[in-house]
Amino acid sequence: MKTTLTSRFTSFLFILPYLAAFSIFLLFPILYGVYISLHNFELLSKDYEFVGLANYINIFTPGTYINDIFFRGLWVTAQFVLFSVPLLIIVGLALAMLVNALPARIRGLFRTFYFLPYALSASVMAVIWLMMFDTNAGFLNSMLAKLGITGIPWLTDTPWAWISLILTTLWWTIGFNMIIFINALNEVPEDYYEAASIDGANAWHKFTKITLPSIRPVMLFIMITSTIASFNIYAQPFLLTRGGPGDTTKVLLINVLDQAFLRKEVGSASAMAIVMALIIIIISIVQFKLTSGRKGEA
Amino acid sequence: MVNTRKLGVTLLAVIIAVFFLLPLVWMISTSFKNDFEALSGKMNFFPLKPTVDNFVQGINGELMNVPIIRWIINSLSVGVIGTVIVLIIDSMAAYALARLQDLPLRRIMLSLFIASLMIPGVLTFLPMYMEFNALNLINTYPALILPATAGAFGVFLLYQFFSSFPREIEEAARIDGANKWQIYARILLPSAVSIMVTLAIFTFMGIYNDFVWPLYATTSPEMRTITAGIAMMATGSYTQSYGKLMAMTTIATLPVVIVFILGQRSFVKAITQSAVK
Repeated sequence: MKTTLTSRFTSFLFILPYLAAFSIFLLFPILYGVYISLHNFELLSKDYEFVGLANYINIFTPGTYINDIFFRGLWVTAQFVLFSVPLLIIVGLALAMLVNALPARIRGLFRTFYFLPYALSASVMAVIWLMMFDTNAGFLNSMLAKLGITGIPWLTDTPWAWISLILTTLWWTIGFNMIIFINALNEVPEDYYEAASIDGANAWHKFTKITLPSIRPVMLFIMITSTIASFNIYAQPFLLTRGGPGDTTKVLLINVLDQAFLRKEVGSASAMAIVMALIIIIISIVQFKLTSGRKGEA
Repeated sequence: MVNTRKLGVTLLAVIIAVFFLLPLVWMISTSFKNDFEALSGKMNFFPLKPTVDNFVQGINGELMNVPIIRWIINSLSVGVIGTVIVLIIDSMAAYALARLQDLPLRRIMLSLFIASLMIPGVLTFLPMYMEFNALNLINTYPALILPATAGAFGVFLLYQFFSSFPREIEEAARIDGANKWQIYARILLPSAVSIMVTLAIFTFMGIYNDFVWPLYATTSPEMRTITAGIAMMATGSYTQSYGKLMAMTTIATLPVVIVFILGQRSFVKAITQSAVK
């Protein structure tokens, strides 16, 4: 192949459009975000001054408003991550195994049923569940009333608000994890199970000694993607509980966007966003290192 | 014994399916109820007085005085245009990265694009808003379309596919005098139709379903996408008009559910492809 200047230029033309989009709408915003976080930007004002690391220092200085909303939001988000991630993994795997245990003819049908909510927009999902959870006229309370249980405050009292958020998250997103698990389970060689059967292994042994070790890389992938997704939780508390009752479900991302769009302090909001992104990236890397380091054990 | 077990498993699967499908069935059922019946707390799957008023009003714009049809058209056009742009620029970039050895800075760009897949959206959201604001592009179609074109997922997906394309075919075409553009347009692209469909479905659903960015990037009612519009209604003063809200969500869900069911096979493929990276 000739590598004349013209040829190299033609090659470059192919990548140019995407490179432009990438630079303008991904690379530049990241750098611009760092710049904003070092200034006292306000949403509607064109004047701003360099403030150095003040926005970052505020986040870590106990007693400041920013410190308060950042760490309270982070704690709420961390609780959500701790509750939801194990369920997203376990229920996802359980559904995948259930679908695989079904007669082959109806497998595809049930896979579609469990996966369907994933196709909905967050706002559609939220409106549907607002109606399901309505304390007076909602479907769930109407059903429970027939059993003599009345007036559960699904969205307005703890622990119900948490239960509702987790329930809707599972309903909406579990199909994604299930699909990946189904694919991983189907790739475990059938002869492993046959050999184990001949050796007299029971179902539990097959699951812990064959299935789990074989799907390990996929498990890691699900763990990391579910953690990142749960960290970025916004739609469910923003639309369903509005951060309530009180501030108990006010997650970090709500506080970041409120700081930017309600209080109009984009500078400090950007610093909050950057620290939040760093936390997410660090946790992903730690999970990756921890899990891939234990490979020898299994 | 095997049959009893299969029966038990199927029964369990059906019970769980009810949990997944019931909210959707209830949404459709409620959309045919008047507000009074929707708020009555009665569990009628078939409305006592079925009415199509919610839909009729939705279509002629009287429903809650919001332009639902305009919102749907916004969402569909933004989704389709964004998807077409992504398909064109991603396939060109993937072709260059995978097949054009003399591409300057090839390795650096490839690592940069792959690394960008790890970036959480929260990092770019506010600066992107400030960028569009500075360019006076808030509340315009470009603001709704362009941010979706920067993602590297499609480049990565197509790069993998183009990398494994047999070299002999490309070589034969070159001997016949085909240039890079002809090889891209007549050989590589036609071979990638199925993976392009996958990427198209993935991208369209991503743009159509996003609600946080459109919620902040639009300011006037007629520029909203349907998902942002619904989010506005849900947090506004219409929270309890369930019949009307459900008609709106039913209308909003139709296009994407059709795309989803028709393209489910491709969609599943895209998800599993992204998992094995």
